Amino acid sequence: MNDISEAFVSSLGLILFLDAELLEIILLSFRITFYAVLISSILGIPLGAFLASTHFKFRNTVVSILFGMMGLPPVVVGLFVYLIFSRSGSLGWMGLLYSPMVMIIAQVILILPIVCCLTFQIIESLHTRYHEFFRSYRIAKLKSVIAYIVDSRFELTTVVLAGIGRSISEVGAIIIVGGNIDHITRVMTTAIALETSKGNLDLALGLGIILLATAIILNGFILFLRGKYLKTPGSTI
Amino acid sequence: MTSEDIQININDLSFNIEGKTLLHNTNLSLNGDGITVLLGANGAGKTIFLKLLTGLLTPSSGSTTFQSGNLSIKTRAFVSQEPVILRRTVLKNMLFVLEKITSEKSTLAKELLSLMGLDKKEHQNALTLSAGEKQRLCLARAIITDPEILLLDEPTANIEPNSTTLIEKYLIQKVRSSRKIFFVTHDINQARRLADEIVFIHTGRVIEHSSAENFFENPKTTEARKYISGKIN
Repeated sequence: MNDISEAFVSSLGLILFLDAELLEIILLSFRITFYAVLISSILGIPLGAFLASTHFKFRNTVVSILFGMMGLPPVVVGLFVYLIFSRSGSLGWMGLLYSPMVMIIAQVILILPIVCCLTFQIIESLHTRYHEFFRSYRIAKLKSVIAYIVDSRFELTTVVLAGIGRSISEVGAIIIVGGNIDHITRVMTTAIALETSKGNLDLALGLGIILLATAIILNGFILFLRGKYLKTPGSTI
Repeated sequence: MTSEDIQININDLSFNIEGKTLLHNTNLSLNGDGITVLLGANGAGKTIFLKLLTGLLTPSSGSTTFQSGNLSIKTRAFVSQEPVILRRTVLKNMLFVLEKITSEKSTLAKELLSLMGLDKKEHQNALTLSAGEKQRLCLARAIITDPEILLLDEPTANIEPNSTTLIEKYLIQKVRSSRKIFFVTHDINQARRLADEIVFIHTGRVIEHSSAENFFENPKTTEARKYISGKIN
């Protein structure tokens, strides 16, 4: 018990004095999360909006596959990406294995279906209200997709935040493809796993506190948005 | 071109869904001027008929042609019973339906909002308008597209009386002379106030089509007589 309380005090010291190692790990985590969520949002939101507002032959099959991909096991995704980017893999020539880039790719594979499917659900309900109006005024497809995204922007903010939450707390895929290399691919989750196994609890706890605080702030922000904009959609533009 | 030049021909129009016929073979020839009120009890098939005219529904058989001389009419605007309002300002809602936003159209949008009593709310979030204001916005938004035919599906249902009055006044004074209007209602008094001609629909069949005066003074069918006397709702 004493060891734990000492480690806790020591971890707070690392946070308060902005320990260089701790800071480096945190910044890399945020950088990877930022790019993974950015790419997933740029691809996933328009795709979700398009699928929600368009009917074509294999739409239900595509949607079912995407929903199924929401539950992809991270370690399987990690293994899959590892096999592709390993030296003998089809994209091994790019030399990306054990780099932040391949960690972003793995995270995009995990987050993209989540962003796409949550967007699909939000915009599908908006489509029910809007589609007759758009059809009667012969609104072009691109214009209508943009309108769906613009008009559900507050709901979509929560989708992006959900993506950030998923990305920042992910460990299974990025530890396989990133290799948890010090100063190169070590992020909060992989560092916590390593430092805990080494018995270096102060750094693991310090990172754990930051990770927990990030998750709480994100969820708090989602709740704030829901309360402010989503329960009363007319309250603001 | 004036609305008098328009000829509307409905040929053997019917609509079935899941084995049920909601509109039976309908044949009508309508003039292009004035207000045609589609009257009938709840569930009679008025909205189905209107949506078939709008092109929102595809008929199971038959066709509708809107002709002006040798030209077919493409500009139709539809206003539904439930106002569809986009999450943006009142003015941006108006401009959304335009293919190209010009300074003339922006001025026209402001003029139409003024006519609808919404000029002081043009920069307000449209979702915060009252039900009646939303419906007035929908009507103004339909007019800005300059449609030759305006199709209104119970636009005054569920809105406050002053908005109903404003909409009716606007349709009679400003729109009727320049456009063909189809107006769905089950309110007999409203039909009396607005209609130039009546298309009476009963259980999916058009059973009377006559001038408003003839319809109310001398209804031909038992169903119409019962409806006017309030025995069918």
